Amino acid sequence: MKTIDIIHDEHRALASVLQALRFVVGEIRSGKLQPDFRLLAAMVDYITQVPEKVHHPKEDDYFFPLLRARSAKASALIDQLEAQHRDGTRMTGELLQALIHYQSFEASGFAAFDALLQHYLDFNWQHLNLEEGELLPLAREALSEADWQALDTEFSANFDPFSGAEGEYETLFRRIVNMTPAPYGLGA
Amino acid sequence: MAELLKLENVWAGYGGSAGSVVLEDIGFSLEDGGSLALLGRNGMGKTTLLATLMGATHFKSGRMRFCGQDLAAVASHRRAALGLGWVPQERDIFASLSVEENLSVVARPGPWHLQRIYEMFPRLLERRANMGNQLSGGEQQMLAIARALMLNPRLLLLDEPLEGLAPLIVQDLLRIIGRMVATGDMAVILVEQHAHQILPLTQQAVVLERGRVVYSGASDALRRDRSRLDNWLGVGVH
Repeated sequence: MKTIDIIHDEHRALASVLQALRFVVGEIRSGKLQPDFRLLAAMVDYITQVPEKVHHPKEDDYFFPLLRARSAKASALIDQLEAQHRDGTRMTGELLQALIHYQSFEASGFAAFDALLQHYLDFNWQHLNLEEGELLPLAREALSEADWQALDTEFSANFDPFSGAEGEYETLFRRIVNMTPAPYGLGA
Repeated sequence: MAELLKLENVWAGYGGSAGSVVLEDIGFSLEDGGSLALLGRNGMGKTTLLATLMGATHFKSGRMRFCGQDLAAVASHRRAALGLGWVPQERDIFASLSVEENLSVVARPGPWHLQRIYEMFPRLLERRANMGNQLSGGEQQMLAIARALMLNPRLLLLDEPLEGLAPLIVQDLLRIIGRMVATGDMAVILVEQHAHQILPLTQQAVVLERGRVVYSGASDALRRDRSRLDNWLGVGVH
């Protein structure tokens, strides 16, 4: 079940950036850190690009349709997850707008960015938990060995969340790791 | 590939002949350039097994062959020269030396040299002039691994390299370790509690329970066996 390993890997990559983003924004909120907009932009870019370009298309195009065809029980859950994918895209777009506003208006723009981010973090943890806790166990029950092989082929053709098709996300991820202040990253 | 390491019926522990036995009847082998995940819950003997390979425990009985030599007959201080590189949990980097000095001071001839290390760990290149005590935890872990590579070991022993690090750094290090293992320049034994993170990187796995081997086989087969993973490691759901 390479498919499940790939989903887990992508969730872990996203979760690690989300956790670091929560830390950085929390430090800004408490006055311990000055905003580094290059870092914030890189983080928002990562949590926008990787789900949209890497993670969700595989689920939406291959995993969800196959599971829907095999399990009537999964249908409502998949409806909910597909709606969350759409909401997630909208929310990261709003987050990017709020970040631009924050950069332009500095301190007065922080509250709106912070509020949107906290909302997005809660939303995203719930989404990841729903996939890990409900979708994957259901898929393990419902899909046959042949189904998994077909999915594994499709999922393996996709690039990993760190490198992207041409290494673009690797550079982005490394920049985030190097710029995020310790102990969450390697930055000063 | 040729066999690099072979353990048969190894019993070892601490405190001399009257002391405690931690490892019981351990046996497995590793090929040159191979990779092995050493798994088990806390206190099951993983670190003791690495320490036994390095000669830091009381070896009671059994056979340990490394590069065709009887490893038990080699003094602990000579095992690094024989080709064993150990990255302990404590990291133990030299706080009063710069990053580059930490690396250069242990360098031995082989495929891993300063330039290649900096390609693998670009962060260390950026921090090359910083002292060891000026590094963050993640940077120290990178330096500890890089320093062991500069020894150009035949077998690298990594003891919980991800322990205590934030998820962002864990993801970065996992990727570096994956690349390192894939080079096949040396064999690697990787101790880790988070099986799901290292099984995809290794060819073989050994699971210890109360000092005994309960699984020795392909990492891929273990990764797919959720019930046994859950039973031995409590990682069935991830």
